[in-house]
Amino acid sequence: MLKLRIYQTIPMPLQLDIECANGELHALVGPSGSGKTSALRTIAGLRNPAHGQIECNGETWFSAEEGAGLKPLALSPAQRSCGLLFQQYALFPHLSAIDNVQIPLQNTPHTAAEKQAIAQDWLARMGISELAQRMPNQLSGGQQQRVALARALARQPKILLLDEPFSAIDTPTRQGLYKTLAELRRDLHIPIILVTHDLREAGLLADRITVIDRGIGLQTASPQNLFQKPRNSRVAELVGISNLFQGRFNQGKLHWQGTDIALDVVDKNKIPADSVVAWVIPQSGISVGRTKTALSHTASVSEISAIGQIAVIQFAIPASDQTVIWEASAAEVRRLELGVGVQVELELDGKQIHIMPLRPINDPRRFTTIAPS
Amino acid sequence: MLDTEAIFLSFKLALYTLAIMLPLGIWLAHRLVRMGPAKPWLEALLALPLVLPPTVLGYYLLVGFGDVSLFGYPLVFSFEGILLASLIVNLPFAVQPIQRALESISPEIREAAQVSGLSHWQIFRLIELPLAWRGVTSAAVMTFAHTLGEFGVILMVGGAIPGETKTVSIAIYDKVQGFDIAGAGLLSLLLLGTSLIAIALSYGVLGRRKAC
Repeated sequence: MLKLRIYQTIPMPLQLDIECANGELHALVGPSGSGKTSALRTIAGLRNPAHGQIECNGETWFSAEEGAGLKPLALSPAQRSCGLLFQQYALFPHLSAIDNVQIPLQNTPHTAAEKQAIAQDWLARMGISELAQRMPNQLSGGQQQRVALARALARQPKILLLDEPFSAIDTPTRQGLYKTLAELRRDLHIPIILVTHDLREAGLLADRITVIDRGIGLQTASPQNLFQKPRNSRVAELVGISNLFQGRFNQGKLHWQGTDIALDVVDKNKIPADSVVAWVIPQSGISVGRTKTALSHTASVSEISAIGQIAVIQFAIPASDQTVIWEASAAEVRRLELGVGVQVELELDGKQIHIMPLRPINDPRRFTTIAPS
Repeated sequence: MLDTEAIFLSFKLALYTLAIMLPLGIWLAHRLVRMGPAKPWLEALLALPLVLPPTVLGYYLLVGFGDVSLFGYPLVFSFEGILLASLIVNLPFAVQPIQRALESISPEIREAAQVSGLSHWQIFRLIELPLAWRGVTSAAVMTFAHTLGEFGVILMVGGAIPGETKTVSIAIYDKVQGFDIAGAGLLSLLLLGTSLIAIALSYGVLGRRKAC
């Protein structure tokens, strides 16, 4: 189990609180420069934060706390036993594949023959045993990555850290790596931290995702929860939720900003009365028909983009600049006889609407209360 | 006639310089790569022998050594003195190629070695030194060839004592002064040939390894 609680403001902000159990795959997701890789390097001990604590399997790797018998502690990368897969692999260019994998075994009590056998075994597990004698410049990108992964795992690390492992490999290699990761996760039973900017991939592989922006961990949740219930509008933006709107929320009524529409929304009394909020609705909460009902709102089709059997339709809300994105099958588009300019009736399910503060959850100004006039 | 005493002395000086300079150069280059704000100043100090006229450097060493003795031997007009002078003169030729080679190693490679559990010494021995071998080879050849041909500083600090400080280049000068043009020509040819062979061999070795 990895427990990470770190905080600093200089030289770059970093504020993260993560727990990752053995056998769990935890993804750190965020845009370029958001501090994902810095977080990974901090876990590996290649840099130390100003404040906080890092523990792995009950052993303290880093602690900035002082006083009451406590001393600041920072184990070196060599003492931490992390397997780190670098984004550019960082293979030792003067050593063959098998010698690269043997490097982490240098300080183990194994004999030379045992080290050779262990390294060969790891290469076999990565499916590249026949490439043992090749130099790194004689290997393809995918093969280099497998050697790097074998090297990261050779000394049986207590945690595996993967820095953007999918960014530089082609699709077939990527599929192979998904499979390898799934097997490793099953067999190794150690925490695995995956850094990626690709949310789709994180959603596919991770048990939990932490969204990072400008060094700050904004939300940690399961992929499903993250997409359905982003904690704030920035998270919603970062996870690419298409139907993200603003409104004013007061006692169960959500007044959609820029429109005359008011929606009935259930909330857990977390949001103060008369607050400006951001809100999202998943695709499953949108129903489209041609007949007006008591709960429907009239809209018109402003754009249709068809990609294969899937169509993305944009509805414009009359007398406003608001649009709703709806994804439907080509058959559904035909059934509803949709075309640009066609009027439709939209039903938005209030139970599936998720409202959230406009600012990050750790910002005391997150709710902008409108003073009653 | 060949001045075998001078030839022997020159090779002895070149080999002694190389034996001391190479580890010293590797250590200095390694320190320089990691140095903070003082780095440009130390680099400038080490590069001084490149730009100072050898006679100026020789003058300072002559005055500086003065009555100083090392292990009981006076430094001025002695083999120990020209060895020390040769080491100082060769600092940039040894340090710079190794420093450039070490600087060209990606920081990620060092980090990968750290994360792999290697100690600083192991990182140096197993990763950095093998990766910087081109720089080390260049440094060795340059130091050796340069020491064989060093003239100004040796003359200032050591004079021309046969068997003690009279190296090949001093002997050439002496022979020309004494109108022994043929003797000077032979010694010059020897220096030319040795330097050419040393550099060609190093280029050959470096080039072959580059091709694989």
